[in-house]
Amino acid sequence: MTVDIHIINERCKGCKICVEVCQTNVLDIAKEPNLSGYNPPYVKALEDCNICGLCEMLCPDFAIQVSHIKEENK
Amino acid sequence: MNKSGFTEEKHPVDPLLHTDSIPSGWCSGCGIGMVVNTFVQAVNKMDIDVENIHIVSSGIGCTGNVDQHLSFKSDKITDSNVIAYAAELGAKKQDLKVVLFLNDTDFIASNIDEFIKAGKSGAKIVVIYINNYIYRIFIEHKALPKTPFLKSSSKDKNATPFNIPHLAKVSGADYVARWTQLHIRRLMFSIEDALLTEGFSVIEVVAPCLMYYMNKGNTGEKIDRMGVYKENSIIKHLEPTENLDLRNQNEIIVGRFLWRDAD
Repeated sequence: MTVDIHIINERCKGCKICVEVCQTNVLDIAKEPNLSGYNPPYVKALEDCNICGLCEMLCPDFAIQVSHIKEENK
Repeated sequence: MNKSGFTEEKHPVDPLLHTDSIPSGWCSGCGIGMVVNTFVQAVNKMDIDVENIHIVSSGIGCTGNVDQHLSFKSDKITDSNVIAYAAELGAKKQDLKVVLFLNDTDFIASNIDEFIKAGKSGAKIVVIYINNYIYRIFIEHKALPKTPFLKSSSKDKNATPFNIPHLAKVSGADYVARWTQLHIRRLMFSIEDALLTEGFSVIEVVAPCLMYYMNKGNTGEKIDRMGVYKENSIIKHLEPTENLDLRNQNEIIVGRFLWRDAD
C-alpha cells in the first residue's frame, strides 16, 4: 500500500495546523510563499506517514488530501 | 504534477463545495472552517442523498457565511426567524434533513424562544451550534467573550456562557452532544448520528474566537490557542446535563449526553 499527500498550495492560508498536529513530523513549512503570500506546507518525509488523516480533516480550507492506493496483485 | 500522478488541483469533496469561494473569508485557523470540513466529510462518508440536505444559516456573524461555501441547497434567513423557518421546512418534506449552523449571536441573543418551541413540537432539524463565546449584535453591546479559562479577557460581567445541552434536553431534544473543535473524529461520528436521528438534534461545538485570545497579549501558534480547550476538557458520556454549565467549572465536560434512539 502506498500513500500520497497532495497539497493544493493556492488554497492554503498558512495556519500551520497540519504541521503541528502531525505526530510523525511528515510536513514542514515551505520557504516560498504562494500567490496569496502565505507559506504553505510541503511533504518532508512521506515514508513516516501512518495515514491517520488528521491533517486532511483539520484543514479549514480543504487544501490537503491524503490518499492511499492499494497495490495490485501481480 | 507530483510523483504519484495527480494532475488536477482537486480535493475529493470538491463536488460538495463552491470551490470559487475557497479559501474562505474566515481567519486562518478558525474553528468554523474545521466544523464545515467535518460536516462535509461526514456527508461524503455516509450514503446519503445530497438532494435531501438543506442548509439554513442566519445573517449575523461569521457562522452566517457557511452556506456560501457549500453546494447544498441553502437559505439565508434574517436573524430572529431562522429556527422557525427551519422547523417549518423540516415538517414539509418527509426525507429532508435540515441542518442549521448557528453561533452565539443569532442563537442565544434572538432565537432562544424559537428553540424551545421547536424542541417541544419535535421539529426535525439538526442544530450545529458553534459556541465561539462572542455575544454581540451592535457596537453598543459591550458583552465580549466570557470564556471559562480566560475570564479576564472582558471587563463586562453581564454575558456568561450558557448551558445549551441542558436547555436542549429539557426542551425535548432527541440527540444532545458537545465537543470541542479538536475532537474532530468524535464530532464527525456525532454529526453522522444526528443526521440519522429522526427528530430534534443539538450538537454544541466549543470553538472560541482566535482574535480575542490574541487581544489579550497571548502569543503562540494557533493550535496552542485551541489546544487550551482540548487539554481542559474531559469526556464523560451520559453525564447529567445539570453539570454541564461552562460558567463555574475548571474543566469542559464533553461527550454524548442523550440519544433517545439508542436508549
